Amino acid sequence: MAEAAIAAKAVEMVFRTGSVETRVLKGIDLTVSAGEIRLLMGPSGSGKTTLLSILAGILTPTGGRVNLLGQEITGLSRRQLARFRRRHIGFIFQDFNLFPALTAAENIELALKIKQRSTAEAKRLAAEYLEQVGLADRARHLPKDLSGGQKQRVAIARALAGSPKILMADEPTAALDSKTGQTVVALIQNLAKEKGCTVLMVTHDPRITDAADRITHLEDGLISHSSSWQTREVGGNGVIG
Amino acid sequence: MVSLARKNLLKDLPRFLVAQAGIMFAVSLVTIQTGILRGFTESTTLLIEDSATDIWVTSENFVNFELTEPIPYLELAQARQVEGVRRAEALLIGSGRWYSDEGKLTTLRIFGFDPEGQLFRPGEVSAASLEALNQPYTAIIDQSNQRAFGIDQVGDTARIRSLPVEVVSITEETQSLVSSKFVFASLKNANAYVNAGFSAELTCQLGDNGLNCQNAYERAPETGAEALPAPGPLEADVPITYILIRAEPGTDIPALKQRLEDTITGTRALTQAELVEETRAYWQERTGIGFILGLGAVVGILVGIVIVAQILYTSVSEHLKEFGTLKAMGAPDRMIYGVIVEQALWMAVIGYIPGISLCWGLSTWTLASQGIIILITPVSAAGVFGITVAMCLGSAFFAIQKVTRVDPGIVFKA
Ligand SMILES: Nc1ncnc2c1ncn2[C@@H]1O[C@H](COP(=O)(O)OP(=O)(O)OP(=O)(O)O)[C@@H](O)[C@H]1O
Ligand SMILES: [Mg+2]
Repeated sequence: MAEAAIAAKAVEMVFRTGSVETRVLKGIDLTVSAGEIRLLMGPSGSGKTTLLSILAGILTPTGGRVNLLGQEITGLSRRQLARFRRRHIGFIFQDFNLFPALTAAENIELALKIKQRSTAEAKRLAAEYLEQVGLADRARHLPKDLSGGQKQRVAIARALAGSPKILMADEPTAALDSKTGQTVVALIQNLAKEKGCTVLMVTHDPRITDAADRITHLEDGLISHSSSWQTREVGGNGVIG
Repeated sequence: MVSLARKNLLKDLPRFLVAQAGIMFAVSLVTIQTGILRGFTESTTLLIEDSATDIWVTSENFVNFELTEPIPYLELAQARQVEGVRRAEALLIGSGRWYSDEGKLTTLRIFGFDPEGQLFRPGEVSAASLEALNQPYTAIIDQSNQRAFGIDQVGDTARIRSLPVEVVSITEETQSLVSSKFVFASLKNANAYVNAGFSAELTCQLGDNGLNCQNAYERAPETGAEALPAPGPLEADVPITYILIRAEPGTDIPALKQRLEDTITGTRALTQAELVEETRAYWQERTGIGFILGLGAVVGILVGIVIVAQILYTSVSEHLKEFGTLKAMGAPDRMIYGVIVEQALWMAVIGYIPGISLCWGLSTWTLASQGIIILITPVSAAGVFGITVAMCLGSAFFAIQKVTRVDPGIVFKA
């Protein structure tokens, strides 16, 4: 078994709004192996996005520890976390989050600029990845001139062009029709496998589960069970190694 | 490399243009206010700077260049005896009234100097023009006063008080904006003009039917210079205003100043730089003019800050999700602030260029049509650019505060 790319231990999250406390995550243990594609599913409000944010080092949990790529990220400073994300994590969002003023190619170039790549290399990689997502002829289009599926493909190119070790995606297909959604997920699956990138993807969409190596189900802040697509193995509330 | 700042600014072009118009307005306000302030303060010392003088000796009651008490002419001779003095020349400043040929009245400030001397120069004038000043009842005027004096060209005549005057040359860039109209003449002529009072020209005769008086005003116009005696040399007790000193090369100037003050009692000696500085400071600080114009410039800067801050803040608020995305992707703070700072700098540059061009055009127009100097030098233009940049960067501060508080977590919120 490959080493863990993502390992969470007893992660808890309590939000405080005024005097109201909301316990959103109630002790999550989760391990995702390197190169694996893991889906995170569960009902609305179960804490999927919260967990993803914590695992990506965007949100600091109120309890527990997170280890990414062998490095403990709980306790890192805001700056150190930003550097870690910049180096190792690619993001795909439900609403694509492309920069509306930038063309498809420029969106990718900007992400590479954040990763401190040279202008020439950024241009080269942007062209290369647009080609890989089948949008070479849309390089100079602004997001508003692209369809939803095309936008998400640009976002995939943007997330992967920096060669991240981990890809974090929150409902990447939610804004797309189901056929486009399936194409997009297939693209993520193929490219991630090709680059050896670990994927953690939150989704509601049952039609894309066959893209996953494993699925973790979240319910009311707890992992209800995890299942492996290949073995149909079903576990209880706990770690699946 | 792709610039998010520039693209975000240009994306909403109409609003960007409104912002630029606002910055242009601020730039213009600052440039015009400071330009008028500088134009007028510098105009008060043009003559001082035109002269090749090391030290100016005047009354100890000196206030500014044109406001000081007279000293007797004989002290010039005393000054020449002081060790370290190479040349000493007299400068007489007085006032009077100018009557144009059409009878139009203008107050004037007359400067009497030695046309053969080397220390005082009324702007750039030729040797021939200076030579011409040796003729009785001649003067040089500044181009900017031609209209007020009713002088179309060299050779035109008028009257100063009761005496005739012929303009022998026209100079430029000498006039102080806060003074009466300048006239330059030889010491002898100037002295005659200054003392040509009402009473001096009142000639009375005791005739058969009592005292019969006639004053200069009623003199027939054709009574020209020929009929008048030429002004004679200055008497020892005639009041003059300054003794201009050129020091021997290598003389210790502060020590020479001290010697002059000690030798000629009741006087104060100033270097050229001190005279310039005290005169400007007087106009800027002791009169309200500097304050008012300065206030105008400050208002311009404040208006600019408010406009730029408002635009940047709105821009950041509208692109909050983009900043969140940048943060989520791990962009360092430096880069995120860089986007805002770059926007601010673009706004500064793009607002500055039309603003300064507008002022430049305006200053050409006001000088030509109103005689008002709005001084825009390369240095002051650069200064205003500096202020514009600082203003935009200051405004960026508020926008940066907002971005600092952006939670990258918003990227996952729909
Ligand atoms: N910043 C916050 N402050 C307070 N409560 C929050 C905050 N973020 C999330 N929550 C709460 O935490 C719970 C889980 O939210 P989360 O967004 O993780 O759910 P989710 O599983 O992603 O739901 P969905 O499928 O609708 O996206 C919700 O009840 C939500 O109201
Ligand atoms: Mg969610």
